Amino acid sequence: MIEVRNFTKRYGDFVAVDDLSFSIGEGEIFGFIGPNGAGKSTTIRFLATLLRPSSGEGYIAGHSVVEDPMAVRKVIGFMPDDFGVYDGMKVWEFLDFFAVAYKIPRSSRKKIIAEVLELLDLTHKRDDYVNGLSKGMKQRLCLAKTLVHDPPVLILDEPASGLDPRARAEMKALLTELRSMGKTILVSSHILPELADFVTSIGIIERGKLLAAGSVQEIQRQLRAHRRLQIRILDSDLAHAEAILRADDKVRDITGYDHTLTAEVDGGDTEMARLLQHLIGSGVSVQSFAEVEMTLDEVFMTVTKGIVN
Amino acid sequence: MILRENPVLIRELLVNLRSSRSFLLQLAYVVFLGVVVYFAWPAGEEATNQVSPGVSQRLFNLFFLGQFFLVALVAPTFAAGSITGEKERKTYELLLASPLEPSTILVGKLLSSSTYLVLLIISSLPLMILCFLLGGILLSEIARAYLVLILAAGTFGLISVACSSFFGRTSSALVVSYLVILPLALITVTVTQTDDVVLRDFVSIAVLPPWCIAIWVIVGLLINRRLLFPPDVGSEGKEVIDEEEEMKYAVGVVIDRELFPDMLFAPAKRTDLMPDGTNPVLDKELRSEIFSQGTLMLRLVIQVSMFLSIPLMAYLLFLRPELTGYYVGYVLMFNLLVGPVFSSGSITQERERKTLGLLLTTLLKPGTIVIAKLLASARVSTVLTFLLTEQLLLAYILIPELRDRWWTLLIFLSLIAATCVTTTTVGLLCSALSRRTAVAMVVTYLALLALFIGPVGLVWYLQGYTALSEERLASLTITSPFAAAMSIPIPSSDDGQPYTPSFLGSTALDLSIGSKTLSVPIWVAYLAMTPVIVVVLNVLTYLAFRWRWWRAGMSI
Ligand SMILES: Nc1ncnc2c1ncn2[C@@H]1O[C@H](COP(=O)(O)OP(=O)(O)OP(=O)(O)O)[C@@H](O)[C@H]1O
Ligand SMILES: [Mg+2]
Repeated sequence: MIEVRNFTKRYGDFVAVDDLSFSIGEGEIFGFIGPNGAGKSTTIRFLATLLRPSSGEGYIAGHSVVEDPMAVRKVIGFMPDDFGVYDGMKVWEFLDFFAVAYKIPRSSRKKIIAEVLELLDLTHKRDDYVNGLSKGMKQRLCLAKTLVHDPPVLILDEPASGLDPRARAEMKALLTELRSMGKTILVSSHILPELADFVTSIGIIERGKLLAAGSVQEIQRQLRAHRRLQIRILDSDLAHAEAILRADDKVRDITGYDHTLTAEVDGGDTEMARLLQHLIGSGVSVQSFAEVEMTLDEVFMTVTKGIVN
Repeated sequence: MILRENPVLIRELLVNLRSSRSFLLQLAYVVFLGVVVYFAWPAGEEATNQVSPGVSQRLFNLFFLGQFFLVALVAPTFAAGSITGEKERKTYELLLASPLEPSTILVGKLLSSSTYLVLLIISSLPLMILCFLLGGILLSEIARAYLVLILAAGTFGLISVACSSFFGRTSSALVVSYLVILPLALITVTVTQTDDVVLRDFVSIAVLPPWCIAIWVIVGLLINRRLLFPPDVGSEGKEVIDEEEEMKYAVGVVIDRELFPDMLFAPAKRTDLMPDGTNPVLDKELRSEIFSQGTLMLRLVIQVSMFLSIPLMAYLLFLRPELTGYYVGYVLMFNLLVGPVFSSGSITQERERKTLGLLLTTLLKPGTIVIAKLLASARVSTVLTFLLTEQLLLAYILIPELRDRWWTLLIFLSLIAATCVTTTTVGLLCSALSRRTAVAMVVTYLALLALFIGPVGLVWYLQGYTALSEERLASLTITSPFAAAMSIPIPSSDDGQPYTPSFLGSTALDLSIGSKTLSVPIWVAYLAMTPVIVVVLNVLTYLAFRWRWWRAGMSI
C-alpha cells in the first residue's frame, strides 16, 4: 500500500534522509520510530506530497507521490507534527472547510462531521473557536480532519504528542479500530513502548538511515545479531570471568551484581557459543549462561546507542 | 541597564547590522544619492562660474524631501515588526516573562530599529556638504534639515513601535503606522518647507522639538503600560477574538456584518454548512479570517481615512473643483496603503501559521486557492476604498461644474477600481514569491511605489534636464493612476481653464501607429494597460504558487 524506494533528502550538504526503502502492506499499522532529528517528519512529508525528494520514489496505493500528487492526496489523510489552525473559525466550521476541500457533498457532510466529532470526543467543543482549543484538543481536531474524507491510508506524524495518558490510550484504541476498518496507517513516534503493543510492523530510523524494518518479531530476530547475556558464576571465578569478558572486543557494558554478570554481545549464535566455550575452556565454573529476552524498548535503546557511540 | 547591557538592543543591533544586506542597502543608497548629485551637478560653463543659488537650493530641497519621505516610509518597516515579530515567532512571552524592564525592551526595540535609519541619514551628510560647497545654502539650513530628519526618525519609529505593541500582526501594525505617519509627514513637510524663511525656522527649531518630545513621552508611557500589563492571551499565547464580544467595547465606528456597507466586505458568518460548489478558501477568508485579529485595525483605518477625507473634500472638491483629481489621488493613496495588507499576507500567512500543509494535502487545485485569495483580498480592499468615493459622488451631485461633466466621474471610478485590482494583484504575487509576510509586504509597497509614484517623480525631475518632449515623458507615466487622475481635465470655476499640475507637463502621450501619431490622454492609456498588467501578474502568481508551494514545496 505504501512503498518508499531509495528516498534521499539533502538540505545543502546535510543528508537528512539517506537512501531509505521500506514498504507497508495493506491493513498494517506501521510504527515509524526514531529520536529527534532522525528524519521521520522529512519522510512523512515526502509521502504526503509536500516535500520534493532529492532522489528516490514513493508510491501510495499505486500512485507515485512525485508524479501524481493529486491521486495520492485523494487516498491519504495526513496529520503533520506541527500544524496551525485558522483564526476566527469554530470547530464545526473547520471540519466543514476541509470536508468541502475534499469535495464531500453537503448532504453527507453533516453526518460525517457529527461522526468524527463523536469519534474524537470533541462533540462538546463543536461551537468553540479552534484557536482557543488546548494543544491536545487541537491534536484531536486535526485527526478528526484527516478522517472526514474516509481515506484508506492514514499518515500521522506524532499524533500522540501532547495527549494526556487517557487520550493516548484512546488514540491507540482508535487506531486499532481504524485498522480493523481496513485502513493502512503510518504513525511516527519517539517512544517505542507507546507503539509496541498495537503496531503490526515497525521501522527504526536514526540519522536518516533505516536501521531495521519489519514485523515486530522479525525485527527482534534481525536484532539477534545483538544480545544480552546473563551469566551466573561461582563466587571464586567471578573476577577471572569478568577479566575474560573485558578482554573480548565483542562484549561490552559489563555489569556485575551478586554472582551474576550481565553483558551486551555483538554477534549471533556462533558468537555466544564461542564465548561459552572460551569461558569453560579457561576453567571458569559457569553455573548458568542465558540470553535475556529484551523488551522492544530495550532493543531500541541498544540499537540506537550502538549508532551513536 | 537601559542602554548598556541591554540584551534586546544588543541582539537586534547585531542581527540588523551584521547582515550583509543592510550594508548593501546602505551602499545602494549612497550610490543612488551620488548618481542624483552627479547628474544634477551643473556642468560646463556653469560649473566654473558661481552657480545660481537656485540649482543648489533645488538639489538640497530634493535631498531633504527624498530623505524625509524615506524616513517616513522606512521607519515603520523596521519598527512596526519589532514587537509583533516577537509575537509571531512566539518569543514574545519569553521576553515578557524575563526580568527585563518594559522600558529596557522598549528602548532596545526603538534604538535597534532606528539606528540603521539614522546611519542611512548620516551617510548622506557628505553629499549634503557638497551641495553646500555649491553655494547658496547656509550651514544652519543643513543643520536644521538634519534636526528635522532625526526628530522625524525618532517620532515615526516610536509611533510604529507603539502600533507594534498594540497589534498581533506585523501587517496590521505596519498599515496603522503608515496611516498615522503619512498625514503627520505631510503636515511637517508643509510647515518646514515653506518659502517663508522665518516661519520655517521658527517651526523647525521652536515648535517641532517640544512637540516631538511630548509625543515621545506620551507614546513611551503607553507602550510601557502595554508591556507591563499585556492583555490576557490564553494558555496557548494566542488571543481568541470573539467579534460580538469585541464590538460591545468598540469606540467609534462599529462593524456590523448584517448592515450595508459592511456586509460588502464582511459577509455574515455561517450558521450552517457551506452549500455544494462553494470555494471553501474564499468562504473562509471572508467569513472567518478577515477579523481574526480583531476589528481594531479595520476600524482605525476606516475612521482615520474618513476623518482625513473631510478637509480634503471641502478644499479639493467644493472650493476648487478643478482639483478633483487630487481628491481621487487621496483615494488612490489610501488604496495603495491598505490594498497590500490584505493580499500580501494571504499566501505567506498560511505558511507562517503552519496551515499550508493541511491546505495543500486536500484536493483543492492551485487555481482555486489563488482565485479565492485574489477575490477575497480584492473585495475587502475595493469596498474599503470605495467608501471614500461617497464624497466624490456628493460633489458630483451638488457642484454644477462637476455635474456638467458627469462622465468624468465614471472615469475616476474606473481608475480607482483598476487601481484596487492592481494593488491586490501585486500584493498576491509578492506573497506567492516570499516566505514571510513582512517581506512580501515591504516588497509590495516598493513595487507599487515604483509603478505608481516613481514615474511621476521621474518625469517631474527630468523636465528640466532632458531634451525629450513632454509627450514622450508622459508615456513614462502610463503605470501611474496618479498621473491618470490628474490628466482628466476639469475646468476651473474661475477662468474655465482645466488645471494641469506642474509636475506632469503633458496630460497626453504620443502613440505612433505606423506613420500616424496619435495623442492619447494618460488615463486612457492607464485604463487600457491595467487589464493587461493584471492578467499577466495573475498568471505569474498562479505559476509561482503552483511551482513553489503546491507542487511539493521545498520545505514548508
Ligand atoms: N529546512 C531544513 N533545512 C535544513 N535542515 C533541515 C530542514 N528540515 C529538516 N532538517 C534536518 O533534517 C533532519 C531530519 O528532520 P526531521 O524533522 O525529519 O526529524 P524528525 O525525525 O521528525 O525529528 P523530531 O522527532 O524532532 O520531529 C534534522 O536533522 C533537521 O535538522
Ligand atoms: Mg518530526
